[in-house]
Amino acid sequence: MTLFLRRTFPLLLTFLFGVAAALQYYIPHPLSEAALTEISVWLRIILGFAMILGIASLCHVHYAKIRTRAAGWGYSLVVYLSMLVTVAVGLWSRGQEEGTGFGWIYTYALLALQGTMFSILGFFVASAAFRAFRARSKEAAVLLVAALIVMFGRVPLGEYLIPAAGPLAGWILNVLNTAARRGILIGISLGGIATSIKIIFGIERSYLGGRD
Amino acid sequence: MRGLAGKLLHLDRRVIFVLIALATLIPLLRPIGLPVRISPEVRQVYDYIESLPAGSVFLLSLDFDPASKPELYPMAVALLNHAFKRDLRVIGMTLLVTGTGMAEKVVSGVASEHGKQQGRDYAFLGYSPGGSNVIIGMGQDLAAAFPTDHYGQRTTDLPVLQGVNSLRQVNYVISLAAGTPGVESWYVYGKEKYGFELGGGVTAVIAPGLYPFLDTGQINGLIGGLRGAAEYETLIGMKGKAVAGMDAQSATHFVIIGLILICNLFYFLTRRTTIRSFGSPQGRPGSPREAGR
Repeated sequence: MTLFLRRTFPLLLTFLFGVAAALQYYIPHPLSEAALTEISVWLRIILGFAMILGIASLCHVHYAKIRTRAAGWGYSLVVYLSMLVTVAVGLWSRGQEEGTGFGWIYTYALLALQGTMFSILGFFVASAAFRAFRARSKEAAVLLVAALIVMFGRVPLGEYLIPAAGPLAGWILNVLNTAARRGILIGISLGGIATSIKIIFGIERSYLGGRD
Repeated sequence: MRGLAGKLLHLDRRVIFVLIALATLIPLLRPIGLPVRISPEVRQVYDYIESLPAGSVFLLSLDFDPASKPELYPMAVALLNHAFKRDLRVIGMTLLVTGTGMAEKVVSGVASEHGKQQGRDYAFLGYSPGGSNVIIGMGQDLAAAFPTDHYGQRTTDLPVLQGVNSLRQVNYVISLAAGTPGVESWYVYGKEKYGFELGGGVTAVIAPGLYPFLDTGQINGLIGGLRGAAEYETLIGMKGKAVAGMDAQSATHFVIIGLILICNLFYFLTRRTTIRSFGSPQGRPGSPREAGR
């Protein structure tokens, strides 16, 4: 019974829902459409529980860090404090942002912190480009030249100095980049299809926890 | 000469940070206002909105959080200005919970500038958990995916949503995204099945990855990065934050181009000596460790 619940039943459910979802796409019958509507509601409910699981996992990881005084455990404490304060203020404000403490945290903490994190990237990219972006091989040289043309042609000053830079950058993005990206996309898609088939037919079972 | 080049290759990164800061700040304080060339992919979005008759349903999904605000917020402002100017019925929403407050602010802010009334001329649905599943849910039954809007009003009672039961009745969707869920999700789970036209507005980092979708017609236009936002502002005759930021972006790009050229010049000047100086592959100029210094 335990083996059935742990292995056979999930495999059966995966097979049934996998095949049904694939077939549903090609059968626009009202019954099939109604089933999709119902399943989309289920999926959102399941995702809600996944969010709870994610929060529990986050708390567990950071609690373990604080308990063992692992390197950077102070940051884990900050995670706990900020999460608890935000939840408490959010509940107090009844989830409303306009003129509440919750809105203040959103505008003056979250917005500012996330903006700062992303802005700092610009500085690190410049520093990394100076130290690592070198024509050490023919391939690296091609990449370097393409990057310089795109950087030059994608800003008004570059186009002002050399008017052909803009269309040239556009050509690199539209033709060379698209060709390479399309190859990658086709590869990813074929891999996705192959993995899906393996999961539906129970060949790939790692989602069960690594046990056969 | 080689000695000097070798020293400059190990330039303190704080000097580079200062250069970037100056290249950003000075043009913002003293803008030049260089003209922005309009690319075909941005014009396609503009032309499509222009072709929509008044009263058409335009859905703007603001699928980004504050980290991508500098690039995508000006895009949202420009698109909303255009849509309200064209008297389209605007539906705003987000697939990212951390973007909700920001999305609400931009939709209601631009709407009030045009004298538009919430519920009658536009709706802000807010956030619903589920990512891509929300798109499927909206495609099947909009009221089931969003029983109420962001302000707690029943979506079935909103005049602006009369006749809009699902995504099938939406004329144009634009996803402003910085990742997943975003433009690809709207295509795979939305446009492909429910048949609306789709455009994209994304950060400069992910824009190159969407060009294949543009050429195949899976998306009808693409606004990429701050540059794309500046182009859109130019098209609608608006001097917004994107146009203002383009001089700073020009200067920053040129500083980075200069740094790359200098670094390669020094690299070729010191190549022989560095091979002797940096015996271990870990410490060689250009290695990941070196890049992180």
